[in-house]
Amino acid sequence: MPSFKLNVNNTAYTVDAEADMPLLWVLRDLLNLTGTKYGCGVASCGACTVMIDGNAAYACQRPVGTCVNKKITTIEGLSADGSHPVQKAWQKAGVPQCGYCQPGQMMAAAAMLEKNKKPSEETIAEVMSNNLCRCGTYHRIKKAIHIAIEDINQ
Amino acid sequence: MQKETINRRHFIKLSSFTSGSLVIGFMLPGLPALALSPADCEFFQPSAYLKIDKSGKVTVLVGKQESGQGVDTAFPMIVAEELDVDFKDVKSEIAPYGTLKEGEHDTGGSQSVMTMYDSLRKAGAIAKAMLISAAAKVWNIKETSCAADKGEVVNTITMQRIKYGELVCQAAALPVPKDVTLKNPKDFKLIGKAEKRSNLNDILTGKTKYGLDIKLDGMLFAVAERCPVLGGTLVSVDDAAAKKVPGVIKVVSYKGTGAPMHVRAGVAVIATNTWAAIKARKLLNITWDEGSKNNESTEELFKTFAAKAKTKPAIEVFKKGDVSSFANKNEITATYAQPFLAHATIEPVNFVAAVNGDACELWGGLQLPDWTVNTIAKECNFKKEKIKVNLTAMGGAFGRRLHFDFAIEAVRIAQQIDKPVKLIWERADDIRFQPYRPANYHLLKASTDDKGHLAAWQHHVLGTPVAYMTEGPNTKHPEEMDGADKGFCYAVPNILTGYTPVDFNINRGWLRSVDICVNTFPVESFIDEIAQQQHKDPLDFRLAMLENKPDFKTGDDPGAMTQSPARIAAVLKKVAEKIGWKEARKPNHFIGLATHSFIFAKSYAAHAIEIELLAPKKFKITRVVAAIDCGLVINPDGLLNQMEGGLAFALTQTLKGEITVANSRVVEDGFFSYELLTYAEMPPLEIYIIDSKEEPGGVGEVGLSTVAPALCNALAAAGNRPRNLPIRNEGFSWVYA
Ligand code: FES
Ligand code: FES
Repeated sequence: MPSFKLNVNNTAYTVDAEADMPLLWVLRDLLNLTGTKYGCGVASCGACTVMIDGNAAYACQRPVGTCVNKKITTIEGLSADGSHPVQKAWQKAGVPQCGYCQPGQMMAAAAMLEKNKKPSEETIAEVMSNNLCRCGTYHRIKKAIHIAIEDINQ
Repeated sequence: MQKETINRRHFIKLSSFTSGSLVIGFMLPGLPALALSPADCEFFQPSAYLKIDKSGKVTVLVGKQESGQGVDTAFPMIVAEELDVDFKDVKSEIAPYGTLKEGEHDTGGSQSVMTMYDSLRKAGAIAKAMLISAAAKVWNIKETSCAADKGEVVNTITMQRIKYGELVCQAAALPVPKDVTLKNPKDFKLIGKAEKRSNLNDILTGKTKYGLDIKLDGMLFAVAERCPVLGGTLVSVDDAAAKKVPGVIKVVSYKGTGAPMHVRAGVAVIATNTWAAIKARKLLNITWDEGSKNNESTEELFKTFAAKAKTKPAIEVFKKGDVSSFANKNEITATYAQPFLAHATIEPVNFVAAVNGDACELWGGLQLPDWTVNTIAKECNFKKEKIKVNLTAMGGAFGRRLHFDFAIEAVRIAQQIDKPVKLIWERADDIRFQPYRPANYHLLKASTDDKGHLAAWQHHVLGTPVAYMTEGPNTKHPEEMDGADKGFCYAVPNILTGYTPVDFNINRGWLRSVDICVNTFPVESFIDEIAQQQHKDPLDFRLAMLENKPDFKTGDDPGAMTQSPARIAAVLKKVAEKIGWKEARKPNHFIGLATHSFIFAKSYAAHAIEIELLAPKKFKITRVVAAIDCGLVINPDGLLNQMEGGLAFALTQTLKGEITVANSRVVEDGFFSYELLTYAEMPPLEIYIIDSKEEPGGVGEVGLSTVAPALCNALAAAGNRPRNLPIRNEGFSWVYA
């Protein structure tokens, strides 16, 4: 079985896996980083969103073979203690219900804000519509993103 | 506050499967105090509901299963209120399965706060009383000279204070008092104040462990291929190619079951990781015997509904006065229809099981763990006492995890391998093999008298009952008529309602808001339709049949529920006032209203929705106003979150949610075909909470049912009334901000 060197949350890992195994299952099953969630496996829900070299990416769509020499950030690496501005904003707005979709939501929002500190409503809606929330926390996601925007532009 | 026995028919029905009785109403703390001597005490645990450690940290053990509805916060708030501790010193944990009475872990029907409110208050008050007794002993004063305040006992003579944490050992040695005085609700400091979720930080840092996140030593991963037709059997499987996939350990097959859970016959691939199992599954070559019921379709089902609707209902449900004297007099008739729906939790169902000889251990999210254990004991041949359950957080439930087909499957798979196995349902499995919210069809007829008042009301509901699945087709009470039975809220002199069950070969189950949602859409649409036809104001037309009408019982049994037309009217008036119903409207803007009670949970909600019409069947939702009366509110923030989420859930099924069946197979297979409402589509929402001193009701389901009729009534006001959900099927389209 091939082996791959990965940089996840600034930690170096070596994993033995088939090259086509999606990063999602590498994180969850091999590295026990279960903050990244499985929702569909087919790029339809956003639950598995991580950052690869600062860009939001569906971990279910990235074969591990394409992830070497890249900087991978998961919810566990956004901050260990919840101190990232996006997490703080999510805290303040009291976003989650079941919470299952929220790591993906926060990773999508964090990646968006990394690129664009003052996204327009249209951009936010376009980006965040890739992440489904069956509990329907969309109003609070919106509120939290605005709190985060205010925070990072101070 | 009025106290009455709670009778939730569907909840009682399903809980009757547990071997013991479902204890609802006033529950006593489940366990006696732990007999700890002062020397070796680590913490003080006067009941199954809470413990306090030496640092004064309070842990509330939550017996109801958290799936986003916020019991992990409401329950600790209730305990902390009576205990007089700062909420920041309180955390919550899942009450281990088995530490509570049978039935107490059951979570559904928005019942959690209602059924546990008294017990949790009492648990907090008992703990406080014991801490006060302990302090009184320390100071050698009377208990009446002590008071509790923010996690400390105060000596009211000297004003000295001792922290609860320092009293833990002394308190643990005291007998648990039988009777305690509860606070006067007017002295509440915490209940009614908005609090953030108690485990928020775990969720936000990815630490919360849902069922799918369970990892055990040596655990293997399984995915399964299931018979595409319910009730079919396995003929043969060629697994040679599948077994060649690196990581695959074993391929096993298992039999299906009948009622109550309708597990499909399946073939599971067990591997060292999920991906290997997923890949190998695709290589299985299986021959199924689909059985004879393999050619049913929803297209035919709705034709059957339409044909049978014209005949007399199979079951007469409610009769008042005599509708026949009004037959054909100013008669209005309409039909409404709603499809099968899937729960579609973002965490697909999954389960972990380990079998070791005659013992079995389970991990995962279950709304009804007692029934699960009893059924697994029977289906999989275990002694009940040999089944250990570890409950986890749930990534959404909405009724999906009232069912435990996946748990039975996991055990059947684990019985064939000597390691713990996690069964993962792929998304397509999760959408295609659900216990679906039943499809339904409604024929309504009404007649008005010479003054235009509603004189006769007939409602024939046709459905594919859940009870046919859980109890078998010989069940005595298949009807799903809440809101269309004796509890019908409008004062109409002559009423006749009935139900006709139609069987159909896919599994059905309970979905958030259950048949109240099913019946509120046609009832609130048709009432509006009659008002429109009579050129009456839809608000006034409703209020004339609700306001100043007394509460009434919905049945003759002592535990029958109470319907309250006045509270239904009050929420309606609130939304009408707030949306400016009587005011002039902007051009091309139309408003629709709807109101109801979620009677099982003693809560009442109405919606007013304003649309802007852009083309005859194209619109934009410009405003949504909701009002809720759920009695005493425990956590207003949790309530708002449920109302917001309820709107999203309801809009999904109003606009686009639909499960269709062809050749007895569900057509939709994921979020591309079973679409959910997205961030961009979520309209603005204003929520008004009615100030109420009534006992607390449930809020998880009340925010859904009036969304569809309010929106459809707005569309009707604009010229086109949708009578079939989702409205996309009627050619409607919507734009969003
Ligand atoms: S799991 Fe990757 S998008 Fe749904
Ligand atoms: S919070 Fe439950 S799915 Fe988003």
